[in-house]
Amino acid sequence: MGESQKGLLSVIQKLKGSTEQELRIVLLGLDNAGKTTLLKSLASEEVNTITPTQGFNIKSVASHGMKLNVWDIGGQRKIRPFWKKYLDNTDLLIYVIDSADKKRFEETGLELSELIDEENLKGVPLLVFANKQDLATASPASEIAEGLNLHTYRDREWQIQACSAVSGEGVQDGMNWICNNIVNQKKK
Amino acid sequence: MAEEEEEDWVLESIVGYLGSPEWVIPVSDFMEIKCSVFDDEDESKLTYTEIHQQYKQLVEKLLDNHMQEIGINEQQFVEACTSPFAKSKTVQVLFQPVLATDDFQMFRSLMVQKNMELQLQALRVIKERQGALPECLTDGADVMSELEQQEMKILQEVLKKSKEEYDEGLSQRTVGSTSGPCSGRGAPPAPGALEEAPTQDPGSSRAQVSPVGRAALEEAAGGLNSPEETSCAAATKHTTASKVLPVVRAPVKGGEPPADPCPGAQEQGSSKPSSTEACLDEARREAGISKPYTELSESQQQRAQYLREQRDKLQALKRGQPNGRQMASPEGRAPDPPPAPVTPEVSAEEKKKLQKRKHLAEKLKEEVIKK
Repeated sequence: MGESQKGLLSVIQKLKGSTEQELRIVLLGLDNAGKTTLLKSLASEEVNTITPTQGFNIKSVASHGMKLNVWDIGGQRKIRPFWKKYLDNTDLLIYVIDSADKKRFEETGLELSELIDEENLKGVPLLVFANKQDLATASPASEIAEGLNLHTYRDREWQIQACSAVSGEGVQDGMNWICNNIVNQKKK
Repeated sequence: MAEEEEEDWVLESIVGYLGSPEWVIPVSDFMEIKCSVFDDEDESKLTYTEIHQQYKQLVEKLLDNHMQEIGINEQQFVEACTSPFAKSKTVQVLFQPVLATDDFQMFRSLMVQKNMELQLQALRVIKERQGALPECLTDGADVMSELEQQEMKILQEVLKKSKEEYDEGLSQRTVGSTSGPCSGRGAPPAPGALEEAPTQDPGSSRAQVSPVGRAALEEAAGGLNSPEETSCAAATKHTTASKVLPVVRAPVKGGEPPADPCPGAQEQGSSKPSSTEACLDEARREAGISKPYTELSESQQQRAQYLREQRDKLQALKRGQPNGRQMASPEGRAPDPPPAPVTPEVSAEEKKKLQKRKHLAEKLKEEVIKK
């Protein structure tokens, strides 16, 4: 408990009645990567009527006895500068990539590396979803991992998971990874 | 034991503070001022985060002040607030605004709720004064949607009937507009209202209602020249009540306030509610109309709606007072001479406007009927 500096707000956290443990998860990635679709798929909601996110979405999902507060923030270029404001106290970063959008692999890699350097995300575990595997032109997750140089990340846990947010395939695998690694770690 | 007592005392003080004006006023002020951007869309706006941040600062400042005042530290604060006594429902409700600092979703729902409350309040005020909402206001008001659906059916019927009588209404307006005083058309409101006065001696037969109704209609029709003016005209009819709905604040031209000192206008104002009860009824039904026309642009919608409203008013008058209508025609022409000689240019201008209006009406009719 940071005593006087940012004290009071951290104090207020303790007033919450619930004994349930909460995780703050931030869902980022370029526009059209499928973040909101993924979020809705996580919350078992309809994924047919999703439009580009101008602001952000937040959903609380119960999983493995935890409450996961998932923040999905719009990925359009003009919104990206706002990402920083949502990184405080983050327990996990989920980064979503459109595996079929090869032209923007470089751009998405740059954005990710910038995020990784953020002070607020220091040591925060990273889960990359190689989304849109349902498309024929999608690159395999291993290829994307290589392109992102994920193997050079030594300061945090990371994982890449192929998935299709539309069909839901692979999404649960990613969540299992979260629960096996992050949740258990946090409980310790 | 002593510790427990102290906890009690601290909690009591905190609860007292959370119910006191020192806390309630700044917090509810903040919410009232900032809540207008909070809608109940699924997606949150980036500004919500900013406002939440400001809210945290405010609450932190207020609580800090209070803790200093009663001389407790954060530790004691937490202990008091997590004591069993703090678990009661009433206390938990009081704590909600505090907890909202740490819980964005809770904060958001508080703000959305506040926004709804204010909107409903504003709508209620307008309704109380007018008996119905100006249509340009129903557009953005989500609360109306249920009502809209209900009223849609009635409305369609009304529309059908009104279409038949529409042309008649138009031609009658042609007659009326030359005769009509120009209260709503940028002429100074007081003279306009005064001109009307002679046509409506207080206490005379109901027939006088028609000219009044027509005057109102013209007032409105005058507003048809531009969407902006439309809203002005609407404003004149529908009070200056709401802060949520800015259209209403538009300058009052021929309407109530400036007319106050003038008996004629007062007469007009007071005769409205009674004579046009039917109209208001009609108008209320119309509240549902915005839905099917959402495809139109906003200004088109506004114009279409307004025109329709006026048309239906005319019908209501005709329907409600078959005698009045017959008598209205002569009476309607009776005041013809006065305005004409007074300002010939006006009537020329009027003709132009009328031309424009007619054109507009045709266009709108087409659009509306097509739908």
